Amino acid sequence: MTSASRPRKLILYVAGQTPKSLAAIANLERICAEHLPGQYEVEVIDLRLDPKLAREHSIVAIPTLVRELPVPLHKIIGDLSDTQKVLVNLKVGNSV
Amino acid sequence: MTPAPFSENDLLIADLRHRLAEAEETLRAIRENEVDALVMRGPLAEEIFTIVGDTESYRTFMEVMEPGAVALDGSGRVLFANSTLTQLLGKSLAELQGKLFADGLAAGTGQAIRQLLSDAGTTRQSREIRFSRPGEADLHFIAVASPLRLGTVSGHAVTFADVTERVRNESSEQSEHAARAVIASANEAVLVCDREGIITHANAAASIVYDGNPVGQAFAEIIPLVFRDATGVLQADDLVAVVTTGTPMQGMEAVAPNAPRVKDYLVSAAPLRVAGDRISGAVITMIDLSQRKAAEKQQNLLMRELDHRVKNTLTLVLSISARTASNADSVQAFHKAFSGRIQALAATHTLLLERSWTSLELRDIVDTELAPYVETTADQVTIEGLSVAVTPRASIAFGLVVHELATNAVKYGALSQPGGHVTVRAIGRRNGAFVLEWLESGGPVVLPPERKGFGRTVITRSFQYSSEGGAEFDFDPSGVVCRISIPSEDLC
Repeated sequence: MTSASRPRKLILYVAGQTPKSLAAIANLERICAEHLPGQYEVEVIDLRLDPKLAREHSIVAIPTLVRELPVPLHKIIGDLSDTQKVLVNLKVGNSV
Repeated sequence: MTPAPFSENDLLIADLRHRLAEAEETLRAIRENEVDALVMRGPLAEEIFTIVGDTESYRTFMEVMEPGAVALDGSGRVLFANSTLTQLLGKSLAELQGKLFADGLAAGTGQAIRQLLSDAGTTRQSREIRFSRPGEADLHFIAVASPLRLGTVSGHAVTFADVTERVRNESSEQSEHAARAVIASANEAVLVCDREGIITHANAAASIVYDGNPVGQAFAEIIPLVFRDATGVLQADDLVAVVTTGTPMQGMEAVAPNAPRVKDYLVSAAPLRVAGDRISGAVITMIDLSQRKAAEKQQNLLMRELDHRVKNTLTLVLSISARTASNADSVQAFHKAFSGRIQALAATHTLLLERSWTSLELRDIVDTELAPYVETTADQVTIEGLSVAVTPRASIAFGLVVHELATNAVKYGALSQPGGHVTVRAIGRRNGAFVLEWLESGGPVVLPPERKGFGRTVITRSFQYSSEGGAEFDFDPSGVVCRISIPSEDLC
């Protein structure tokens, strides 16, 4: 059971509309809707518009998905096409 | 000694491990083609380096293309679509990007696109695609899918060339072929005129109304029409003028005086609408009414004939009634005699109806009229040589004569007692007339009657409408003999 009363935030770093960025956005929307409804709030940050924002989470490769809470911070790098891998990473440490 | 739970070293090692894992994950993702952009630390600030290369250049190129175009990744997701295509689909680029292209289309169209992408794995493929639009005509495209590689991404470029106009032209050509086939196969004369009344098409059956090629000629000039019940106001040229305003005219009887064979027609005309609502002429059909006219004539003839017969019959019935009454001693006697005579008349009518009022054989009349009294196959009756057909007029007269002879024989003559016998036989031709004989024998002794009753009057007057016809009696003591002459004009 998640103890959060509000949805937790996921941050997806993309680079404009590169094919992998577009695929990552679509895949994340689908995974959240199908497997994790209401549990996460997704923020998409386009680093093309403001590359400095990459510093906060030391982003190197794009697309990258960051889960800040609960600790430890998790990064999933790639276009999120492997649904099982995404789910495993997002659920780690979730049961408190 | 117990080690400190979290020494500075431990934290450092844990952080290094975490970074190492992240670095390895990043390398793996790059190696496995899961990322297509990198963040580089430039001299002043971070910069984004796209592995795909400059995506703007291919987008600009697609945007200036005239056909609709879309770039899809390997799973069929939209990377970019030009504005021609977004307008066609009625969706913004943002709505399409990242989504599976086929899912955003109508079921049939989406399936066609999936199939096209599957076929175009390594080679260019094309197929015709139809876009249905609610409330509007379908649009037709030739969709061409070509394999495409954008940096690390393998996918497809799909273009949509609009061929709606061509498909519509083909379709209207097919419709015209179908229309021509329908007109050609119609049994009725079908003529198509333009708005000016010039004939543009005519089927083979139209040769019945005009002997020659009517195409290119003015309908009203080559096929003038006189409409019945139209007081001469409506003419053939008015027909086209009225119909091209949008008013169809149906089932008007007309005479075509110049038509080679048949003159009577049932004419209908309808506005010709080829493109949309615009009326471009008139379609005129002319149905041959000659058979119907002939049937009507025949019917009128029959009606007059029926009227004539009914009047004759009524006159005959009145005459039978008057004569029977003048000879009857009581109401009961009148009723019996009158009923018998009317029944005799009815029996002959029934026979005539069965033969459609053509002719009857004398033998059949004798059978019918004797039936109420005696079996003609019995020993008491002999019939010889009466297979002679006579007209309905003679049939009715002969029927009444046989009835009177039979009732008389039953009451007073040969059929009034056992052992009596009646012979009805042909004698032969005399002065043209056919003569036959009613011969009684074996009955009571015959005495000449004191008065001439209705029966005898009927018998002697029967065939006197002709100089050849008539009947005569011989009251021989051994039995009544009656010779009947049927005029030659009544023999069939």
